[in-house]
Amino acid sequence: MGQGPSRRELSDFEQWRIVTRSQLAHYVRTYRFLGLIGFVALISGFDLGFQIHAGVAIVQQEQLHKVSEYLSNFLDNTGLWVVLAAAFFGGDALSVDFSTGSGYFMLVQPVRRGSLLAGRYTAATLVTLAIVGVYYAFGLIGSAYFFGAAAVPWVDVGLSLGLGVLFSLAALSVAFTISAFFKSPSAGVLVTILAVYVGFFTLQQVVELAGYEPFWSLTYAGGAMAAILDTDFVHIQAVPLGEDQYYTIWSASAVEGGIIMAVYLLVFLPLSVVLYHQKESQ
Amino acid sequence: MTAASIEVAGLTKSFGGRRPAVYDLTFRYEGSGAIGYLGPNGAGKTTTLKLLVGLLRPTSGQARLNDLDPVADRKHALASVGAVIETPEPYDTMTVYEALETVGALRGLDPDGIDSEIDRCHEVLELPALAARCGGLSKGERQRVVLAAALMGDPTVLLLDEPTDGLDPAERVLVRNLLTRLKKDHLILMSSHLMGDITEVCDHLIFLRQGTIVLRDSVAAVAARITQRQLDVEFAQVVPVAALVAIAPVVQQVAALTDRRFRLTFDGSLEGRTQILDGCRRLAPLLRFTDATLVLEDAYLDVIASSPGE
Repeated sequence: MGQGPSRRELSDFEQWRIVTRSQLAHYVRTYRFLGLIGFVALISGFDLGFQIHAGVAIVQQEQLHKVSEYLSNFLDNTGLWVVLAAAFFGGDALSVDFSTGSGYFMLVQPVRRGSLLAGRYTAATLVTLAIVGVYYAFGLIGSAYFFGAAAVPWVDVGLSLGLGVLFSLAALSVAFTISAFFKSPSAGVLVTILAVYVGFFTLQQVVELAGYEPFWSLTYAGGAMAAILDTDFVHIQAVPLGEDQYYTIWSASAVEGGIIMAVYLLVFLPLSVVLYHQKESQ
Repeated sequence: MTAASIEVAGLTKSFGGRRPAVYDLTFRYEGSGAIGYLGPNGAGKTTTLKLLVGLLRPTSGQARLNDLDPVADRKHALASVGAVIETPEPYDTMTVYEALETVGALRGLDPDGIDSEIDRCHEVLELPALAARCGGLSKGERQRVVLAAALMGDPTVLLLDEPTDGLDPAERVLVRNLLTRLKKDHLILMSSHLMGDITEVCDHLIFLRQGTIVLRDSVAAVAARITQRQLDVEFAQVVPVAALVAIAPVVQQVAALTDRRFRLTFDGSLEGRTQILDGCRRLAPLLRFTDATLVLEDAYLDVIASSPGE
């Protein structure tokens, strides 16, 4: 063996880059990524295909001849895809190191846990955005096909994507935190989906029925990604249920949604970092 | 640069209200050499190694690698440490090259350095094809990749938990020979249930039972402790075991190795040895009368049996 090879001390930033690259290479080859991105492409493709089959005139009429209405409706499921991606790539982010052999491979390397977590978080964000990007791509293709490329509101699309990034970061922070409490990676994934999508959504409906704005709900905030594209955005709608009875529906504005997402990010990301540092192997 | 060192001082780890998994462990080794870490299942061997690399936090006491605390400063404490603990698994989607490249890069090797280190590991450990996905490797192949990852960058300290686990006999010999070479200028702490590996590789032994050290000594001293009380005798003709038991009152136990070769356990005294030699000569023509060779299983059982229990 003799004298060892020359090595230099890396900064945390350099190690973060290495971990991100390695984690990203892993994520994009997993069945969950290929399955989810394929599924999103398939659903979006079918959606677009049916619309093309229906014809330009019918679609334009259905969407009130507004490209913003079309985009807003087409991209209405962005929150679902983000939550699924966050659950798939964040729901096991912290538990995987302490319940599978991969942790014994990476956690014995001379890297701060913060760098490992940051690399994993960045890679998870990138794959989540790749999935969202495919969804948006179909929406944009449809917009250009039915309303012409010149009609596409690029600024609003950019703002919507910006909210998509913020929503992804927030949802992943929640998923990372949830994963800290589970030994089994699959349990973390399942609970993230149940908590963030089903749980929030159900509670949101109940709270709205009771006449309150669900400002605390992350999925409520997620609605802002599509709402920002809607030029006829309405924050509060009263739906008549019967005589003198109304059901109130709230929609998060871009600003409100962005604030809620930012709060989730600021609370849950540091929490996940603390939990990861505290975790011990079994 | 300080000498390579492995140190634990008053190291205790408890999980909940149970009896501590390790209790008040204290030892320090520095420089080079190989230390065998032995004990029955649940003795605390893996827990100690996890504490050393900061996968666990001590309840009290300290673990230090190269004089650095792996919990407070894991980046520097592990900078020159290669560790194989439990059953590490690179991501199954990664190729062997990618897994080793990631480790090399994290340890500060440049691309050329990474390639030459992978070449070196490929040669000494006969690694599987570098383009093979880790998920498709056999247990032995994966273990060799994991060992290669531990060796990337040529760390001065190696912490190895059952390093030959899952390897076939030829692979075990390969790894044993590698470790025997490495211990000349590396400090190795290895646990293993395979006593042959420990006997062949290690210079020092630590016996652990129920989380505490029951014996810590050089292999030579442990060998002397055992072999002083055992004799191997070989006769020119078949001899019944019962006849050997009766040759001298100091004989405590007779184990038949073949129908002409036996291992006798006695009190280790010079008079006892003389009595046995005389008795054997009277019994049948003697071909061999020597101290028993060290069989570490015997040492292990002896130490475990003579240490206080619950």
